[in-house]
Amino acid sequence: MCSLLNKSPARDIIVLGIGNPLMADEGIGCRIIECFLAQAEKYPSVDFVDAGTGGMSVLHLIANRKKAIVIDCAYMEMEPGAIKKFQPEEIKTVKKLAHLSLHETDITKVINLAKMFGQYPKQLIIFGIEPEIIEPQPALSDTLNAKINDYLAAIAEELTI
Amino acid sequence: MSKNININVHHVTRVEGHGNIVVNAKNGKIEKVQWQVPEAPRFFEAMVRGRSYEDIQVIVSRICGICSITHSFAATKAVEAALGITVSEQADAIRRLLHYSEQLQSHVLHIGYLAAPDFFAAPSVVPLVAKAPDAVKTIIRAHRVANAWSDLIGGRTTHPVTIKPGGFTKIPTEKEFRQLQETLKETLKDLGTIAGVILSVAGNIPNFQRDTEYVSLKQTNPSAYTFYHGDIVSNDSKGKTTPIKDWHKVTNEYVVAQSTAKWAKWHRDAYAVGALARFNNNAELLTDGAKKVAKMFSLEKGCCNPFMNTVAQLAEAVHVVETSIQMIDELLTKGLKTEKVKTSPKAGKGSGCVEAPRGILFHEYEFDKKGNCVAADICIPTNQNHANIQKDFEKFVPEIIDQGEDAVRLKMEMLVRSYDPCVSCSTHMLDVQFIK
Repeated sequence: MCSLLNKSPARDIIVLGIGNPLMADEGIGCRIIECFLAQAEKYPSVDFVDAGTGGMSVLHLIANRKKAIVIDCAYMEMEPGAIKKFQPEEIKTVKKLAHLSLHETDITKVINLAKMFGQYPKQLIIFGIEPEIIEPQPALSDTLNAKINDYLAAIAEELTI
Repeated sequence: MSKNININVHHVTRVEGHGNIVVNAKNGKIEKVQWQVPEAPRFFEAMVRGRSYEDIQVIVSRICGICSITHSFAATKAVEAALGITVSEQADAIRRLLHYSEQLQSHVLHIGYLAAPDFFAAPSVVPLVAKAPDAVKTIIRAHRVANAWSDLIGGRTTHPVTIKPGGFTKIPTEKEFRQLQETLKETLKDLGTIAGVILSVAGNIPNFQRDTEYVSLKQTNPSAYTFYHGDIVSNDSKGKTTPIKDWHKVTNEYVVAQSTAKWAKWHRDAYAVGALARFNNNAELLTDGAKKVAKMFSLEKGCCNPFMNTVAQLAEAVHVVETSIQMIDELLTKGLKTEKVKTSPKAGKGSGCVEAPRGILFHEYEFDKKGNCVAADICIPTNQNHANIQKDFEKFVPEIIDQGEDAVRLKMEMLVRSYDPCVSCSTHMLDVQFIK
């Protein structure tokens, strides 16, 4: 990100955790980033970023990367706790936006915008994790919490070009 | 044109609430006009109770992905007021620089992604790309600079990690500040381009007027166009300011049947906050470049057309960039110092206030002697605008009712968007189906 200001060159791979850790399973992306940051020295060519609910900031974070991995809580009509790897071309969004506010975001639309401007990373992978609980609470459900190591292992396999 | 109108713009997804617009008219007679808001992020107030004063900023920065720096500062200032913590002149200046970055981020996003599609008659920013690709590219570039600026000082684009009561955990180097300054000089040119593009479609900004009370911060001694310091003022308060600690006397929050979000009123039955409110209370203190932008659009102090909030944001975007270029010079002339911040817990109660891009924001906390939070109260700008949006609807709809249902619906949505509301930002999950 800060390569624009020459703080440091962008790394080849970025892993983005999207969501809010104060909304139970909505925070799964942020929690996974926290786990990877604790072992970041193992991955010198990877930026791990907790993008929270910043929405459009994702557009800038994925630009010009060789690989971008987005981790987000997702309604996919699967069992709570299930993880699924997919590419944007494999899905259609059914999220309804009111277009009344900047504060609602559909990451799939942000990804489309990146594509339209030729700022799409060479490779983009999404890991969706089906939530069990979405409500104000600062901890994941037991179901997702028990599977953290499985999620880390699945994502770690993608941390090479 | 049909004399019967039934508009029910109802947006409630599974967990993200949105504002609903309802209009019923029969035989040309308006029976119902309502702005309904089914959510407010009140649960954050419960979530900080029992937490240390050092943790408050981290938690409340998650209230909003667009205003996370603003919530961080309102909270941190409230904590500092409660515990009697002072902030150095250097940290204060760097905080204002970080806060400006969020104003630029949010304003550019609103102008480019929400308002410009309306002015270009495009349903959203994606089809706008086909109509005005260069304009969208310039907007994206300016937004990218603002994000990198937040990242540089806040340690992360969204939900900053370097802010703490009393100062910062880390600040940029002199070289990084100089690079930022050079980048901002380029951004100023981009903002000029964006202003020109918006001016070319300014004829599509509806000409609607309603005499309105405008509430914002006002800073005196020294006078400044403020987002961070000062007391509360309105165009109805005859120059008298209200101290931040008395903010409840301004907001007077109340409950209405049509909304689960609380509404606010001060001298009248509603008031507006945001860029236009700040402009109306402080316009003479804008930088020269910002005044020039306002003049391009004939935006003058006293304007009561809510659609001009977007133009006020454009002027403010130039203001924060010009001011920051100058502030970096002042900061580096004095020389950056390494400052260590040490605080200790004590009992106390304090309020903090800053201007979010979309208007004045209040936080208040009370701590026990161990520094743990026992009470919290947050009043977000969008809640303060709800009653005003309703009052605008009540005057606006009769003026446009003859234009037919589609035009009425679009213009009411445009009106809501002009307030740049925050109605759904604590969750952002995907909702997808797999293509078979």
